Amino acid sequence: MMSEERDSRLDRLYREAERSAPAAHLDAAILAAARREVGARPRSLSETARRWRVPVSIAALVVLSVSLVTLVQREDRDELALMTPGPPAASKPPQAAAPAPPAPAQPAAEKPPAEAPAMRPRAAPSAVRGDERPMARNGLEAMPDSARRDAVTGPASGAGAASAPAPAAPPALQPFPAPPRVAEREAASPQAAPAGEARAIRPAAAPPGREARSAVADAPPAEEESAKALAGSMALKSGARVRAPAWQGYEKEPPQKWLDRIAELRRQGETALAEEMVAEFKRRFPEHPLPADLDKR
Amino acid sequence: MTWDAESSDEDLMLGYRDGDAGAFDSLYARHKGGLYRYLLRQCRDAAVAEELFQDVWMNLIRARSGYTVQAKFTTYLYRLAHNRLIDHYRKHVGAAFVSFDDESDDPPLELPDERERPAAEALDARRQAGRLLELIAALPEAQREAFLLQQEGGMSVEEIARATGVTRETAKSRLRYALAKLRQGMGE
Repeated sequence: MMSEERDSRLDRLYREAERSAPAAHLDAAILAAARREVGARPRSLSETARRWRVPVSIAALVVLSVSLVTLVQREDRDELALMTPGPPAASKPPQAAAPAPPAPAQPAAEKPPAEAPAMRPRAAPSAVRGDERPMARNGLEAMPDSARRDAVTGPASGAGAASAPAPAAPPALQPFPAPPRVAEREAASPQAAPAGEARAIRPAAAPPGREARSAVADAPPAEEESAKALAGSMALKSGARVRAPAWQGYEKEPPQKWLDRIAELRRQGETALAEEMVAEFKRRFPEHPLPADLDKR
Repeated sequence: MTWDAESSDEDLMLGYRDGDAGAFDSLYARHKGGLYRYLLRQCRDAAVAEELFQDVWMNLIRARSGYTVQAKFTTYLYRLAHNRLIDHYRKHVGAAFVSFDDESDDPPLELPDERERPAAEALDARRQAGRLLELIAALPEAQREAFLLQQEGGMSVEEIARATGVTRETAKSRLRYALAKLRQGMGE
């Protein structure tokens, strides 16, 4: 086809002519320059950042989760170590608790008036359960020093409570000193509640009256000391020394070591310790089979 | 984003403007041959053609951030090439490049007499093509440019006018002259 501005024959002939092309090194140089130009833009940087955003976020989340879990486990262990009394002694109330010598009655007016409201919310013994420990402890720490001392040691001069008969034994494992506060409330109004565990747990060896109060008052008021006092109170209540858990030292051991230790305890007749360790074993290694002879009760 | 043969030149250039180097790769592959031959047949020196070729693409790369679609991409690309070529002529050739400025002085094309050559039908296609290249090289620069833009850039008369910065009538006239001389030279 031929027109004024186009000639098909010339078009065809031109296409058949030598098709020169730029050298390969020119191609490479130009394409590299084009990429450099694009790569120098901030947009490219943001694309890089976008590419790494998800992996970095996941890594940060994992690190945070592991840290949190580790922290919680450590706290649980510490708390368990603090709260676990010796099994044999804990099964019955201390012998010395019952014949507590009656102390002379002290007028309720001697106590600071502010103490009574602080103790009322926790007065009911039934409310003291293991799962309420943290809140109860916080309540203890929130008390004024004098109230805390009383809560820990029991009202040293609570004559009403001391003089009343102690018919009921306290629960075997009483992890928290709420009962002393109950006793204190009873000291304020002895007829309001039946004589409770507080009377039963008062140690026979506790110095009566002001001597006891002053002895405790010398203790540092810091929270750490309060915790120690709390542990001491528990030990007095249960009649047993606070000791480390049966599985202490085995935290990082493999399951087989645990089983060996449990078997050894059973051989030695340390049934309570063995069972304590079995319970912890089940908690730590739920998937690991436990031989029937070790699991027996 | 992936680019294919369906993607227009303008889309590719917009893609490159927005940071997609792959779009530039496609664009370059489409036009490198035509642009190179346009420059080579205009300046008739491979070394100079390579230098000009690289300059044109570098100018395009540098200007990419301000690119907007105002005409066909080929018009834009060959306009850059035309301007670079004019710069080159002015710097190195000077007054010799006159045909762009005054077409009235267009000398008659001195072509070998076809009657002295074997008949066109007897020439094989390669030889005919070689003959055509000789004729193209003998054209005045402006007419040669118009013909090369039509062949290598696939441009219409209007697009040639836009790329070379002349009126449509001027572009049309150059093209008609070029075709007439080439036909004459090829023995038609």
